[in-house]
Amino acid sequence: MMKTIRWIQDFLEYLGGSQDEPPPGFSITLSNAVFWGLWWGVLIAVILVFSGQSSKFIYIDF
Amino acid sequence: MLSKRQFVLALAITLAVVAAINVVLALLAHRTLPRRIMRRAADSPSAEVLAIGNSLMVAGFHESSFDSAAAVLPAHAAVNLGLGASTPVEQLLLFRYAIAHGMRPRLLLYGFYDFQLTDPVTMTNADLIGNRAILYYLEPEYARRFYSLPAHDVVEFEVMRFFPMFVERGAVWSKVEEFRRFLSQQGLPHERTNQFGRASDFSLLEAASSQEFAHHCDSALSAGLASPVEELLRQAHAAAIPVVVIEMPMSPFHRRAFYSSPSWPAYVSHLRSLLAPYDASFVDASDWITDGSLFADNLHLSASGGQEFSRRLGDLVRKDYSSQRIAATTNKKPRLMRSRL
Repeated sequence: MMKTIRWIQDFLEYLGGSQDEPPPGFSITLSNAVFWGLWWGVLIAVILVFSGQSSKFIYIDF
Repeated sequence: MLSKRQFVLALAITLAVVAAINVVLALLAHRTLPRRIMRRAADSPSAEVLAIGNSLMVAGFHESSFDSAAAVLPAHAAVNLGLGASTPVEQLLLFRYAIAHGMRPRLLLYGFYDFQLTDPVTMTNADLIGNRAILYYLEPEYARRFYSLPAHDVVEFEVMRFFPMFVERGAVWSKVEEFRRFLSQQGLPHERTNQFGRASDFSLLEAASSQEFAHHCDSALSAGLASPVEELLRQAHAAAIPVVVIEMPMSPFHRRAFYSSPSWPAYVSHLRSLLAPYDASFVDASDWITDGSLFADNLHLSASGGQEFSRRLGDLVRKDYSSQRIAATTNKKPRLMRSRL
């Protein structure tokens, strides 16, 4: 259990850029420009999805 | 570590993903509510009665109930271009859009509540989300004359309006918000909702107290019409389209808490004097619906309430609506609704 949690932590830190080495079993290296380009694009999309309204009144009308 | 070449490649791929997001959103954007209303406007050139306003008009104006009471022919059926959460700026734009697409209504119904007609429209770029995103793409330069933005928001606005991912951010985010609300409701008593969202949210649009409302009335006594309202009335007047400004039905709570103040009739009297130069008629429908159960929240009529209001409004205009048709064919000056003034 702890090993899995540790692996997930290493994986997320690698994706986040705080570690230079991927966790064991994850073969994508820092030199894989295609992966990192897609990953940054996904991050931008996630930011977009969660960049909502900050006002107290939230109006939704479809 | 990425080499310079790899970094440039990764950046190019990121930009391609961002471009793809923009293309997808641009394609999906035709389903957003403002664009659906624009299509409705463009598809209804023969409408003889045009209703505009915010969500109070959306909820309150029931087209078929109005048409049958006002004896409007099906071929010229009334069209409701009310847009929820809109300010008079968006309402002006939708009116212009309808006219630009061939609509020549014989009657313009303009619903309002509280201080919508006199309060200046001030916004930040963050406010231009959801239905108000229309300000990014429907005559954006023209519309900017009628509302103020802080200086740095002007720059943001000018950049953002070219990118669907910014313009339509509300359409994406609202799905997340709906899901968040669904999750937050798990295991809790069901919250009262209506077609626009949580019913309790709409109390935030009312004044915090009767005193605050009365003070707002008093300070608005020296105010003129908000510039987009003035422009809307001016353009309708120039096009010889009679305008009926309707004080929309209000819940018993709202009338008791706010409209019972002596300051409100004074404000309404001031409002009528502001409308006079445009020959706009004024209908006080605020007390037409006295049954609180016909309201979906403190501000919006329920479906049944909307039907009742629309029938009564249709009844009111029926006689003059017929004479308006005759006037149009004989070049007589329209006298629509004058008797109600």
